[in-house]
Amino acid sequence: MAIIAEAKHLKAYYITQSYGIERTVKAVDDISLEIKEKEILGIAGESGCGKSTLLKALLGTIDPPLKIVDGTMQYEFEESYNVLSMSKDEIKQIRWTKVSYIPQGSMHVLNPVRKIRDTFHDFIATHQNLNKSETTQLSQDYLQKLGLSGQVMNAYPHQLSGGMRQRATIALATILSPKLVFADEPTTALDVLVQRGVVQLLKEIQQREGSTLVLVSHDMGVHANLADRIAILYAGKLVEEADTRSIFKNPLHPYTQYLIESLPRLDDKTERSSIPGRPPALDNPPEGCRFHPRCPHAMDICTKEVPPLVDMGGGHKTACFLVSEEKT
Amino acid sequence: MNLLKSYFLPRLSQWLITILVGVTVTFILPRLLPTDPVERTLSTLSSLQTMDPRAVESLKEALEDLYGLGGSPFEQYINYWKRLIRGDLGPSMSAFPTPVIEIIGAGLPWTVGLLISTIFISWILGIILGTLAGYLPKNLWCQIMDKIFISIYPIPYYILALILVMSFCYHFQVFPLVGGASGKPEISWSYLSSILWHSFLPATSLIVGSTAFRFIMAKALTSTIIASDYVHYAETAGLSRWRIVLFYVIRNTLLPQATDLGLSIGAIFSGTVITEVVFSYPGIGYSLYMGLLQADFNLILGITVFSIVGIATAALLVDLSYPLLDPRVRYK
Ligand SMILES: Nc1ncnc2c1ncn2[C@@H]1O[C@H](COP(=O)(O)OP(=O)(O)OP(=O)(O)O)[C@@H](O)[C@H]1O
Ligand code: SF4
Ligand SMILES: [Mg+2]
Repeated sequence: MAIIAEAKHLKAYYITQSYGIERTVKAVDDISLEIKEKEILGIAGESGCGKSTLLKALLGTIDPPLKIVDGTMQYEFEESYNVLSMSKDEIKQIRWTKVSYIPQGSMHVLNPVRKIRDTFHDFIATHQNLNKSETTQLSQDYLQKLGLSGQVMNAYPHQLSGGMRQRATIALATILSPKLVFADEPTTALDVLVQRGVVQLLKEIQQREGSTLVLVSHDMGVHANLADRIAILYAGKLVEEADTRSIFKNPLHPYTQYLIESLPRLDDKTERSSIPGRPPALDNPPEGCRFHPRCPHAMDICTKEVPPLVDMGGGHKTACFLVSEEKT
Repeated sequence: MNLLKSYFLPRLSQWLITILVGVTVTFILPRLLPTDPVERTLSTLSSLQTMDPRAVESLKEALEDLYGLGGSPFEQYINYWKRLIRGDLGPSMSAFPTPVIEIIGAGLPWTVGLLISTIFISWILGIILGTLAGYLPKNLWCQIMDKIFISIYPIPYYILALILVMSFCYHFQVFPLVGGASGKPEISWSYLSSILWHSFLPATSLIVGSTAFRFIMAKALTSTIIASDYVHYAETAGLSRWRIVLFYVIRNTLLPQATDLGLSIGAIFSGTVITEVVFSYPGIGYSLYMGLLQADFNLILGITVFSIVGIATAALLVDLSYPLLDPRVRYK
């Protein structure tokens, strides 16, 4: 499959200064990632491991204190775009029509004093030369297609339930048929039933439009349902990447193994073990493999050297000396 | 209907209570004074002009009636209200026998006109400029504006007013010093423009200070709103700057700005008293000042009652505008 977006050696750091002391949070540290056309790529990892930051870099929404220290990010549509150095015009040109974004915490992304209809108008009219009644018609039709009541259009955000608001946001992000959609924790903070509906909606849109979906979630269950491929992040680093089946059947990285093991299972009522220890602070991450303080298999080399991401065959990549040493 | 019941009625009754309490205070206060208001008024009056004894006698009756000193306190209170509702505030002492209501009637349009126009102009100007300064903190023009308003803000109002009078009425003699208009009142361009001309300096003095305050408040509100998710999201989607400033930032600051306006209307009114005195502007603030100088008790009382009703009503109007400004208010 063709590649629609590619990140190379991305380093995105939060560089803050308070009382003259500089603090650098290495939220994304040397991550390379290929996004294939028409796939659903899941990005997983614990809270604070840099998932949202990675999305910001993939989207090119870099605002201080976040800074791209190194690396490149490229979209491949009819022409290619250098995401990290796009002009304002280019940004306006590709956002929503080619690349779109469903942000984390969709609860507050809709303007509280504007009717949903007006917000849709704002977003559509920015990219297409349509008047108010045309944008309303377009949105109404689209909502209907997604099985949402047209009444949503006349509501203010606070009049909608959380699930409804999330669906409206998803509709808002996808109404101009973008080829590439980034979604940040679209199901978090929703109850289980609503979650399922939202997952269904995302899948439906992706399939009908033939778009590419990059889905960030800490919930491996959501990835199991939705993702074609999964990338596992740990403390600002990509530690494993493979198709969904391989991640669940044959996780190679000890951290991934923990993630899979801690999933609740229907046939098993015993308490699931959670991962020992805590994720490291990203302003001062451990030397060598960042997982070594929590890793049951940690070896000498793990404390000194950073394990490289190695392809173990069939696109199953992992960054762990346990596996790569074995192979050589 | 529900909105009417749950929103308008409580505010309407609050408005009534405010006026009730305020007017009651104006009823009680003169009665707590150690001197007899009728005697005092008469002596004030006779010190101002010579009067024939019969006129004094009839005036005394009128005053007793006016101050409602006959009958039980409750009857007095009821009579007081009756008179107020009729608009009968008695004669002015300093301009005897002109009824107070006439003096107020003559001054009110000037004051209300000056107040409403300056409040609106400074509110809108301050919000627009302050929001821009908050939204574009790196823009050179915004930074200059910021410095200017921050240095103007702490200047006491009367100093500002005096500087304006000194420079543009005495030194450069650009603007007239006295009055609200020239020529005879009619709907003509020359008369209307003379109104604008006369009100220019007093209005400017009021606008400068309150715009500075509004600017600082708008800038502070903006800095929190531009950190919100919905502004970030609109920016990510590439919405134009003016759309974001207008519908995403300013629109969300209107409620706190209106609240603040409602709370400060009383203070703004007191401010115009100084304005009208400094610029000899013929509004009720000027009349009040003259009334105070000449111990014109009737006039002071009349203007006080009017300002209680006026301020309470203005606050009510601002309050009633909330549901228009923020859809969430209805459901709280
Ligand atoms: N504005 C900021 N300034 C400084 N540090 C930040 C800032 N935003 C995030 N961070 C830090 O960067 C790291 C990664 O944050 P990020 O939001 O990308 O994590 P995440 O994986 O999305 O977490 P979550 O699951 O909680 O959303 C965290 O350690 C966080 O504390
Ligand atoms: S590299 Fe070492 S410490 Fe890191 S996960 Fe592999 S075995 Fe554990
Ligand atoms: Mg996040």
